[in-house]
Order: sequence, then C-alpha cells, then structure tokens
Amino acid sequence: MSATREDVGGTPLPPGWAKPAHQPDAFELTTTTFAERAAKTMARPFARGAIANATDHAAALTTARFVGTDHEALREEARKIRAHAIANLPDYLDQWIDQAERKGTIVHYAADESEARRIVAQICTDQQITRVVKSKSMASEEVSLNSALEAVGVDIYETDLGEFVVQAMGDRPGHVIAPILHRTKDEVHELFSAMAGHELPNEAEALTAFAREGLRHAFLTADAGISGGNFLIAETGDVLLVTNEGNGRLTTSLPPIHIALVGIEKVLPRRRDLAVLLPLLTGHGTGQQITTYVSVSAGPRRQGEPDGPEQMHVVLLDAGRSALLGGEFEEALHCIRCGACQNVCPVYRQVGGHAYGWVYGGPIGAVLTPLFRGQEEAGELAQATTLCGACDDVCPVKIPLHDLLLNLRRRSDAEGHVPRHEQVAFALWAQVWSRPLLYRASTAVARGSLRALARNGVVSAKSPLLRRWTAGRDLVVGKRPR
Amino acid sequence: MTDRASFLAAIRSTPRGLDPGLPDRREAPDAPTQLRAGEERPDRLQAEAEAASTIVHRVTAVDVGATVASVLVQADAQRIALTTDLAPFADDVQAALVAAGLTVTDYVEVAPDRARAGALDATVTGCIAAVAATGSVVTSAAGAGRAGALIAPTHICVVRDEQIVGGLHELFDGDALAEAGSLFALQSGPSRSADIEKVLILGVHGPGNVHLIIVAPD
Repeated sequence: MSATREDVGGTPLPPGWAKPAHQPDAFELTTTTFAERAAKTMARPFARGAIANATDHAAALTTARFVGTDHEALREEARKIRAHAIANLPDYLDQWIDQAERKGTIVHYAADESEARRIVAQICTDQQITRVVKSKSMASEEVSLNSALEAVGVDIYETDLGEFVVQAMGDRPGHVIAPILHRTKDEVHELFSAMAGHELPNEAEALTAFAREGLRHAFLTADAGISGGNFLIAETGDVLLVTNEGNGRLTTSLPPIHIALVGIEKVLPRRRDLAVLLPLLTGHGTGQQITTYVSVSAGPRRQGEPDGPEQMHVVLLDAGRSALLGGEFEEALHCIRCGACQNVCPVYRQVGGHAYGWVYGGPIGAVLTPLFRGQEEAGELAQATTLCGACDDVCPVKIPLHDLLLNLRRRSDAEGHVPRHEQVAFALWAQVWSRPLLYRASTAVARGSLRALARNGVVSAKSPLLRRWTAGRDLVVGKRPR
Repeated sequence: MTDRASFLAAIRSTPRGLDPGLPDRREAPDAPTQLRAGEERPDRLQAEAEAASTIVHRVTAVDVGATVASVLVQADAQRIALTTDLAPFADDVQAALVAAGLTVTDYVEVAPDRARAGALDATVTGCIAAVAATGSVVTSAAGAGRAGALIAPTHICVVRDEQIVGGLHELFDGDALAEAGSLFALQSGPSRSADIEKVLILGVHGPGNVHLIIVAPD
C-alpha cells in the first residue's frame, strides 16, 4: 500500500505534522484550578466574544427549529427512551453484541481508558496499520487515544475541520460540537500557511480547501478509519454516525479497516427510536432539520457491495459509566452529547470549554468530569454553575442537570472535601443572617464598603480589592451611570 | 483482557434504575421531521432539500437523461461514475451522456481503487428512499455504495415519486431499509462546515454541488 501512497489524489500533508501534541497527562485538570483555566480564556477578548455569539446563535436556531411542534412531548418521549435503555443497559448491550457479531462486526470490551488504548493499539499493531484517518470522537478524547497510537508508530489525521486545527495546534476541543469555537480565522490562517509552506489567502473558503486537499490524500491512503458512534441500535447491531462535513462516512468507507470506539451508554433499543432522538440531537446540536450525513452501518462490506471496509471493529467503552447505573447520577448517562446545555450556560458562555479541564465542558462537563475523574481532581467543577437551571430547560432528553450538580455538591460536603476556611465562613454567615439585627448590620456594612470602593457607582478592575470578581466584569453598586 | 462475560457481568452487578417503559405510541410524536397534514410529499421534499442547498429538478421519466447530462456539462465533469441503483434510468442516462460527448464508468469498477474513486468529478446514483420532511435521500451500501454519494464534488441523485416517505418514522417503520446491506445513509444537501468563525462553507469532504431529480409518476 505504501508504494502507491504518493500517487493518489490530494496533496500530501507535510511529513510529521500529524503528531498529537497533547499527551494524556496534559489534561490541565490535575495541574491547575478552574479559576486559573477560566482566566486564560477570559483574558482573550476574541474567545469570549466568539463563544457568546456562537452559543447565542445556536440557541436561537434550536428554538426556531421546534416552533409549531409539540417540542415538550418529543423531549418527554426521548427521556423515556433513554431512561428505558439505560435501565436495561446489560440486556440491550447483549442484544446489540449478538446482532453486531452476526453481521461480522468484531466486538472488543474496554473496562477502562487504558484498556481502550491497549485494544486499539493492538489492532493497529496486528494489522500493520501505520496511517489512520479519524472522525471526531469525544470517547477517543476521553481515553487520549491519539498519543497511545502515536506510541506504536501510527500517524493520525483528524479529519473534522475543527479537530484538524485542534490537533495541529496541540489544543483541545473547546466545544463538543464546534471544536474551534474559541479560535480566530487569523489563527487558522497562520497555522495552515505554516503547514503549506506559503501564505494562503486569509479566507475561510481557501483555508477549508487547503485542509480538504491534504485530508483527501489521507483518506485515500489510510490503513484504517477510527470513529466514535452517536448511537448503537440493539435490534440491528447498527452503529450510527452523524457529521456535516462527510468525514465520518469517508472514514468508515474508504480505508480497509474501520474501528469505532463507543461508550456503552449510547445504546438505543430500536431503529424507530431514531425518529425521536435524531431530530433532537441535530435540532439541539446545530439547529439543523437533520445533519447532512447520517450513516448507519452494521458489519464490514458484504459480497457484491462496491466499497467499504473488509473489517469492522467496535470497542465498547465502560470507563466509569457502569458505576453510575442505579445511583443518583444515572441520568448523566442519558446524555446524547448535543452540546445544547453549553450554549445556554451563563458560566460556559464566559469561560469556554477549556476551563473545565478535561473533555466535556458546560453543565454536562461539570457533572461528568467529577464522576469520571474523581472528586480529588475535579470536584470543584460542581461549583462552576449559577444553578440557574437553563440547562434543565434546554436538555433534549430532560436530564436534571441542576439536581445532579446539587447532588455533587452535597456529596462533596458529606465526604468532607470542603476546605476548613469555607466551613468556618459559611457557619459564621449562617449565624449572622439568621439574626435580624446582625443581618441588617451586615448588609449596611457591605453596602457602605462597596460605596467606598466604587467610582461613579462602579467597582472596576482598577480597584485593588475584590479583584478576583472585577477582573472579568464591573461590579455595579446601585444604578449604573449613563 | 476483559471478555464479553465479565464486561457485561460488571454492568449487571449494579442496581437497576427506574424504568419508565419503552414508549410504543401508534402515532408518531410531533416533530419537525414529520410530514404535516395536507402536505404533498414531493413538495415538502423539494422545499426541505432546497433549504439545505440542494438543487432540485422535477421531471418526468423521459427527461431524466437530459437533466443529468445538462447538470454534468454545466459542472464541467469529466470523470463520471454511475451506481447500480440508478437501474431504471441507467440506459437513458448513459445514452444522454454519450450524446453530450461525456464518457461514463460504473462505480463498481472504479470503487475498488480508492485513488480512482477519489479522483471522480461526479457520481450519479439512485436511492432506496427519500425523506420529504428532512429533504434527505437514503442510499445503501448495496446500491450507491458507502461512498458513492459523497466521493466526488458533484452528486446527482434520482428519486422516483413512489420512493418518497413522509418523515423519519415512516422511514424506520417501513421496509425501504430491508435490503440496504452493510450500511444505509441519509444525505441532506452539500457537505458543510462552519468551524472557522461560523462562516458556512459548502463542499468540505463531500460534494459542494448536490442535485436531486424527482421523477413524477407516469
């Protein structure tokens, strides 16, 4: 295969560019605090503006999409389907495995992240895979698949335009649906021009064309395609994949081997359940009627079919999911990864996805990250919420994110993770505010102090006190001056 | 290495959550992806397809060949492949393309060589169904192949009136998918991305030029 590599279409990308710059231990979760990570994004005015604009736009499209329909009934139906599927997860997984194997899919079982990495690396070694095209997969981000494959000599090409940029920059996706929401066209222009070795036009169209050329070459020469999966259909053994660029389908069509890494919670009982879940996934994800490409495959190419892989592998990923079954956090497994909760979250909209330190941002990230990574590393994320409940209102499968966040806080408290100074402060606060006289005195002191700090009714970032609050926004005391 | 038994055993050992039961409504729930009362399927299909930037042609069977030829001439396509699911119209299309001075190949011949498939300018396919409410054409691995509809910059899909279903429920409850083979797929308009500063670009990895030919019943 390598002999013909340079003879096919597209322009080969510069050798060596496809090295994943991020390593498993590069997750910032362990080395920084939420506040430190948030400050980084907030210090970039473009990122803040772009995140707010894009999330506003997405939320408006979603609302418009369901006007004139019984949106609530559809969400309720979706909630029931997801709750039923998760309550009966072992049975549906069993059924899915039977059906998938009957159609020739080779199923693998990854109990944790390291096992997932080992399995995929082993397939690559066994099948002598040295070049992989990859379609966007959050599960693969969870297990840091890219660096594990690089270690066994595999070149990886992320093929989603946004993920391609993320990979080449050594960045991490900033949003579950729109990975480079936080990046400017100028940054992409600079990156691609450096990769091309000459100055490209600074236009989205030309930049996209550059990526397409190089990635087309990768598609035509890759030994394997790696994807995630949006749903698994138990009754038919299907893996479903949605993309808008078409990279998902090419990843699962052109290379001789297809490997899908899919979380066990993605299972749906029947194909007909897609008629409920698909319009919600795409309507809440991008505001589209339907994603441009929906691909549903079961097994490798069959006799008489003109194209398709000779092997199909599916790696089922547990990695902390089964531990949530039957408990107070089970509903977190209902998530279909549409990103709608990020778009409406007042915290996410200010700080962006990186502040959450791991793979998922926004309310669902604040829930999943502590559950998957543990209290020690990620417990503070349960505080990254205003508890406004906007996420509950927008979630297409009605996950009570607000309650889950509160439960996480309670658990953290019960397990004694709250720092001593916070315990003292809150105990004192409770004492003061439960006594009317002290309450009135305390608010008078607070009001007086703020007025003393304020200039023209505003405490600004120039003030030496309260800087952690005022660094990102003004603190208005009384009426805002005109 | 975790095997199937131990993997599932770990999941089975957890307590069961609340099961609301699987909804089994006869009536499909109201969704944007359902046909509305009083709507004609080809009309809704055209409207949704056009909303997704597909170029729609409504023709009778005798005009399919000429329509395909005119689109391909306009697109300046040289390397053109037809897929087997075009069957009812294949001879007409072939004749019209030859008359227009174009040469065509069969996708089944090209597909085994990825480099050749990747260099195609246009593909012309049939489909196993079209979904009116989403503006989608449904192709199968057995017919158009997995990549037949999106390997080239131009894709023309021919759908017969009787192949159009109303919405997603009708598609999944019907029998159109029964003989699809190892994959079925919905495509709704040109390949697109808005990753760079939300600017919509058509034709990323798939075609930017997508045509749907709806053939009226005789």
